[in-house]
Amino acid sequence: RALLSRPAAALRPLRGLAAGPEMHFGFQSVTEEERREKIYQVFESVAKKYDVMNDSMTLGIHRVWKDILMHKMNPSPGTLLLDVAGGTGDIAFRFINYVRSVRERQLQRKLKHHQNLSWQEIFESYQKDKFNSLGDSQVVVCDINREMLKVGKQKAQHLGYSEGLSWVLGNAEELPFDDDKFDVYTIAFGIRNVTRIDLALQEAYRVLKPGGRFLCLEFSRVSNPLLSRLYDLYSFQVIPVLGEVIAGDWRSYQYLVESIRQFPPQEELKAMIEDAGFFKVDYENLNFGIVAIHSGFKL
Amino acid sequence: AAAGGLRRAGWRLWRGRAVVRCQQYPPLRALQASAALRRASDEHKKEPLTSSPQQHFDSPPAGHQPEQEPQGPRPSYTGQGGQESEDYESEEQLQHRILTAALEFVPEHGWTAEAIAEGAKTLGLSVAAAGMFHSDGSELILHFVSECNTKLSELLEKEQKLVQLGEAEKKPIDEFLRDAVEARLRMLIPYIEKWPQALSILLLPRNIPSSLNLLTSMIDDIWHYAGDQSTDFNWYTRRAVLTGIYNTTELVMMQDSSPDFEDTWRFLENRVADAVAMSNTASQVQSTGEAVVQGLMGAAVTVSN
Repeated sequence: RALLSRPAAALRPLRGLAAGPEMHFGFQSVTEEERREKIYQVFESVAKKYDVMNDSMTLGIHRVWKDILMHKMNPSPGTLLLDVAGGTGDIAFRFINYVRSVRERQLQRKLKHHQNLSWQEIFESYQKDKFNSLGDSQVVVCDINREMLKVGKQKAQHLGYSEGLSWVLGNAEELPFDDDKFDVYTIAFGIRNVTRIDLALQEAYRVLKPGGRFLCLEFSRVSNPLLSRLYDLYSFQVIPVLGEVIAGDWRSYQYLVESIRQFPPQEELKAMIEDAGFFKVDYENLNFGIVAIHSGFKL
Repeated sequence: AAAGGLRRAGWRLWRGRAVVRCQQYPPLRALQASAALRRASDEHKKEPLTSSPQQHFDSPPAGHQPEQEPQGPRPSYTGQGGQESEDYESEEQLQHRILTAALEFVPEHGWTAEAIAEGAKTLGLSVAAAGMFHSDGSELILHFVSECNTKLSELLEKEQKLVQLGEAEKKPIDEFLRDAVEARLRMLIPYIEKWPQALSILLLPRNIPSSLNLLTSMIDDIWHYAGDQSTDFNWYTRRAVLTGIYNTTELVMMQDSSPDFEDTWRFLENRVADAVAMSNTASQVQSTGEAVVQGLMGAAVTVSN
């Protein structure tokens, strides 16, 4: 594609770092500060319609992607999750559901073992565990954008999620948390919008406990040429139109589609994650590379 | 710097640690790895792989597999010096340690990712480290089986040494096989309740190559220490027979409720006796057949004369 101009990419000597103040905002070229500003504005304006747009753009498949991410994580009760750029809380709610069902199964199994206790003792132990339906698991949703957090909190209230959930305003490049705190760090469809990806990865490494896991769900490169052409057609012709019709904002969705093209492909992102110090870094393509899940461990 | 490197290499070998082989990875990566090391702990006691990523150490013949992925020394995340156990040379060794630690949680949680998570917790790692393994616990089971096989080999090796030194009698073949299989099956006793679950997971198509591999190498080991030197078709029949004995005895053991599994050992004794009798019968049939043929030939010669 002759239209794909990557001025910032050509200027970047090291992966993920901007050589000078020139960065990309979609296909435009802007400074770092401008980029942060613009992205903030994009999400400020789309916040209210974010979920609706997700559903219409991906035809609901994004729910499957997020479910797959959760299955890959396979969290056990007692896990501390940090969901960065978690905005409207999709990952956090799935995490709570998953942990709750695992915990229920655990309790059922424990109950089966209690064959020789009296009914009173079984009742008491059941009561005690019932108050711990999440098994001490917690999720912290961190987002840089106040509007997205607001929408997320409203959704949580509406759907009835209150336990084990907290909302923090913060920048992925400079997380307001201590070292070695979290078991799992996820960033779903957010790392694309981070201006300094290397800093975000370093912060992820810092806040994870030893043995902790980094998971990144993000749009990525489709290698199949035929599919890639169809995908491009859909992205550039259909999505901005949907954006205008549903959210009244085609520019933001134009940015979104362009930013997907500007984002490093699977192998490059894998190398960046390794650079941050993670081990056993691997990625899994979903839908032929439209989306990829990268995973790394802090060992 | 080279001399320093050689000295460090010597010390590493002396300490008996498998040394990492830095093979063809871009210098940038090596620098980053050691940057992580420096960042993680300033009181790191081990000599870090600081500025020369191109140092080539030879791994000792103890058979440490060189990593595909570039490796630096592990950052000591306990920070305060003295915890030398945190300095892993490779991900595989770390995984081994996690799986070994997870084994003690198997009676409670079964052969699952939960047991692995608990094991990781005892090593001071986050429960998310269980994500390194498959979620159905197959690696845990394979690890356990391979550990048992190793223990069995060591046991048989020790016994063989005793026989060679003349301190013990050489056992007759059926007793040898019986004892070897019994010793191996006894290692399952602590996990006997959850072992049926493990067997079913080992039979999953994905795991069959590895589990079959482990089984055949164990049977091979037993025959080797039994003194089997055959190079003909006997090699296959012997192994097939012993595999059959082992598998059936294992299944019997799953359902055995007698004290100390007496019924299982009696079953084993009978099966081994059967096998030995069968091989005796086979050789008898063969020699009878030869004798019959010779007799006929003699008769033919007599008649023709």
